[in-house]
Amino acid sequence: MAANPDSNISEIIRVEHLTKKFENLLVLDDISTSFRTHEVVSVIGPSGGGKSTFLRCLNLMETPTSGAIYVDGVDICKKGVDINRHREKMGMVFQQFNLFNNMNVMKNLTAAPVKLKKMTAEEAETKGITLLRRVGLEDKRNSYPYELSGGQKQRIAIVRALMMNPEVMLFDEPTSALDPEMIGEVLDVMRELAEEGMTMIVVTHEMRFAREVSSRTLFLSDGHIEEDKPSHELFDHPESPRLISFLQKVL
Amino acid sequence: MQFIQTIIKILSKYGNFYAEGVRNTLIISLMAVVFGTLLGALMALARMSKIKPLRWLATAYIEFFRGTPLMVQLTFIFYGLPMVGISFPEVSFIPDFSRFMAGVVAMSLNSCAYVAEVIRSGIQAVDPGQMEAARCLGLSGGQGMTMVVLPQAIRNILPALGNEFITVIKESSVVSVIGIADLMYRTNGVKAKTYNVLECLATAAIIYFILTFTFSKLVAWAERRMAHGRKS
Repeated sequence: MAANPDSNISEIIRVEHLTKKFENLLVLDDISTSFRTHEVVSVIGPSGGGKSTFLRCLNLMETPTSGAIYVDGVDICKKGVDINRHREKMGMVFQQFNLFNNMNVMKNLTAAPVKLKKMTAEEAETKGITLLRRVGLEDKRNSYPYELSGGQKQRIAIVRALMMNPEVMLFDEPTSALDPEMIGEVLDVMRELAEEGMTMIVVTHEMRFAREVSSRTLFLSDGHIEEDKPSHELFDHPESPRLISFLQKVL
Repeated sequence: MQFIQTIIKILSKYGNFYAEGVRNTLIISLMAVVFGTLLGALMALARMSKIKPLRWLATAYIEFFRGTPLMVQLTFIFYGLPMVGISFPEVSFIPDFSRFMAGVVAMSLNSCAYVAEVIRSGIQAVDPGQMEAARCLGLSGGQGMTMVVLPQAIRNILPALGNEFITVIKESSVVSVIGIADLMYRTNGVKAKTYNVLECLATAAIIYFILTFTFSKLVAWAERRMAHGRKS
C-alpha cells in the first residue's frame, strides 16, 4: 500500500494503529486518528500520558514501534521515505524554543530555507523581516538568542518554522517553559495563525486555548485517545471518568 | 649565586645543544598534536557512530591508550614492533628518521585517544535540542552537525585542545628514552659532560616551563577572544 487509498484530499495526516514502546514501557497503544487541512487540534492529558511522544511521532522525531503515519498520502514510517522532505512540510515548535545559539535571529530564520534551496538568501531575508514584523520583533533581527526573553524566543521559533512554508505546524507545549506574563504574547501569535487557516496540532496545558482556539481536542491518557471531539463539546460534556477527573484538577 | 652563574655558563657553552633539543621537542609535539587532532576527530566520530562495532572499536582504542603508559607505548613501537618485522624505514636525507617516526607515531596515537574524548565531550555538551530543531526543519544530520552543533562545540573543544598541546609538550620528554635528541635528551647529554646535575636539570625545567607557560597564556587569550565573539 504505497499511498493512502482514501483519496480525501483535505486530510493531511492520518495515523493508523500507532504504537510506541520505550524499552518495555508502552507509551502509545494503538492510536488511530486523522487531521484535516485548516484544522486546529489540541492534545491535552495528564503528564506521562504520551502527548509529546504522539506529536514527535508525527514527524518521526520518535520512531514508532508499529503502525502507519500517512502525510499527504505517503506512509512516512516506510523504509526509503525521505523523511527530511516531509519534515520541511511540518514545522515544529518546542517547549525549550531551541533557537540556534550560534546564530543571530535573522540567521536562525534563513539558515534552513537557504541551505535547502527553498529560496535565495534575499528572498529569505525579505520573508524573515515580514514575519518578524508580524510578531512584533523586527528590531530583534540582529540579536542573539541569549539576549531575548522566553516569549521573544518562542515567537521567533514559531517564525523560524513558518519560514519553510509548512503545511502543518506541530506545537509541543509551547508555553510550558514561559514565565506567566509571557504566555499571552505567544498564544496571541498562535491564535492569529489559527485564524489564518494554518493547520495546527498543539500539545498544551492551556485549557483556555484548547477550548477557544482549537476546533477539536484529543484527550490522551495512558497511551490511549480517551476522547476526541469538538473542543466545546469535550469541555462542556466530558464523558469518560478520566477526562472528568482531569478537567476537575486543571480547571 | 654560584648556582645561577653555573646555569649561565652552561647556557653560553651548550646553548646550541639546548636549542636543538627545544626545536626537536617542538617539532615532535606539533606533529603529535596535528596528527593526534586529525585522528582524534575521526576517532570521536567513530566513538559516537550508530554502527556498534565501530563504536566498540573506538571505545576500546581510547580506553587502552589512556589506560597504558606512554612510555610503554613508545618502547613497544620502537623496540617491540621491529621484532615482528614492523619498523619505520630509514630515509637518507633525514638523519634518524625511523627513530623520529616512532616517537611521532607513539605520541600521535596516544594524543589521539585524549583528543577524541575532548571532541566527543565537546559535541555532547551541546544541547540535544539544537540538533532536534535542525532536523525538524528538514536539515540532514550532517547539515545540523556542521551548521549548528559543531560551531557551538568548538567553543568547548578549543580550550581543552590547547591544554592537550601543553600536556603533549611535557609528555614528549619520554621520547628521550629511545634516543631522540629532544630537550630532555640534550639535558642528559650536558649533564653527563659537565657533572652539574642540578643546574642542568633546573635549566631544562625552566625551558619546559617557558614553553608551556607561553602556550597556556596563548590558550587563555584565545579563550577570551572566543568568549568575546559570542557577545558580538
